[in-house]
Amino acid sequence: MSADDTDLSDESLNAIVDGEYPMHEQAELMAVVQADASHSNRVCALRSLKVMVQNAYAEVPAPAGRGRRRRRAGLMGVAASLALGLAAVLGVGLSSDGGRQAERFVVLDADGRGQRPAVAADEEMRIVFHLLDGDMDAAGELLDEVETLLADYRQRNAALRIEVVAHSDGLALLRRRLSSHQERVASLARTFPNLTFVACSNTVRRLRVEKGLEVTLVPEARQTASGVTHVVKRQQQGWAYIKV
Amino acid sequence: MKKTMVIMGAAVMWAMMGIGGAVAYEKQKVVYHINYDDPKTQAGALRNIQNHINAVGKENLELRVVMHGKGLSLLLDPDMKGEATLAANGTPQMQATVAGLKDQGITFKVCANTLKGKKIADPENQLYDFNKVDIVPSGVAELAALQAQGFTYIKP
Repeated sequence: MSADDTDLSDESLNAIVDGEYPMHEQAELMAVVQADASHSNRVCALRSLKVMVQNAYAEVPAPAGRGRRRRRAGLMGVAASLALGLAAVLGVGLSSDGGRQAERFVVLDADGRGQRPAVAADEEMRIVFHLLDGDMDAAGELLDEVETLLADYRQRNAALRIEVVAHSDGLALLRRRLSSHQERVASLARTFPNLTFVACSNTVRRLRVEKGLEVTLVPEARQTASGVTHVVKRQQQGWAYIKV
Repeated sequence: MKKTMVIMGAAVMWAMMGIGGAVAYEKQKVVYHINYDDPKTQAGALRNIQNHINAVGKENLELRVVMHGKGLSLLLDPDMKGEATLAANGTPQMQATVAGLKDQGITFKVCANTLKGKKIADPENQLYDFNKVDIVPSGVAELAALQAQGFTYIKP
């Protein structure tokens, strides 16, 4: 593509924003874009869209529908687990420290309640709360605990990230019509940017299909395709897991 | 490369022989989480713990129970309930089970926030076999910290 070709398609502009051209072509194309106000505006819009998409999915995985990418990620996960398993086996066989290494990868029961260890104490503490209980008193106690923790870490200037994953009956905490803690959820989310509320989309869909309910979530709720998959992923990433 | 493969193969065979032989678990560090007050579920959790000890051997197991919120009802003596806003499931039977587990090295951690929140003003007299060293500032923070130290989390 040459610099005098001034009619750039959306596809080309996207490719420019994503930096997909070789460096010299990228420079030529940027010159074309800068010379033309409408191109500049479109590139600007595409860039901010890209940033918004990145921000939206920075912490919560993409919803269903991006099948190919999800499957690939799944395969990589399987490969990673196999590698970990092999590493654990090798650890037993080769190193004098083998017992301790094997213990780090122990999984205790078929329900998957056992897990790998969380982050080291000197790093950022990350905790995922898995809320399955629809009882508003239980949810209120959870919010109390979460607030105490967040305030404590803030006061000590220590790094902490918390996710509350609402799933199954637990989704009630994030439902407009059922939650008696909506203002509390909103004010906590406002006060603590390191706190995220995540709703399970499978539960939302199941309520629609099975009970004909059109669920409205509180505005603070982000969505993840599957609450279970999400908490499993977090544990694999080293988050501490607490079931409520 | 070839040498590495041979070592890897040997290690895998060694591990498989281990699996095929007598079952002997490596040392385990485990934390059990109790924050509910249904006495049947609580008794079930204590039974799980006993089975866990039986399977792994108490010498191979560092097992802690962290209780907070309604879970503290497990140790609350029905005769000493006082002002406590909590069920009192610490019947003689429950106490005996807890004593049996403590004899095998299991520790029961109590959340300080809960003592305050549930108005257990005199834990020494209200909670079964209570010791000050069993207090942790926050049950939730303790659960997270133990996981960070490599403890496996189990919620029965």
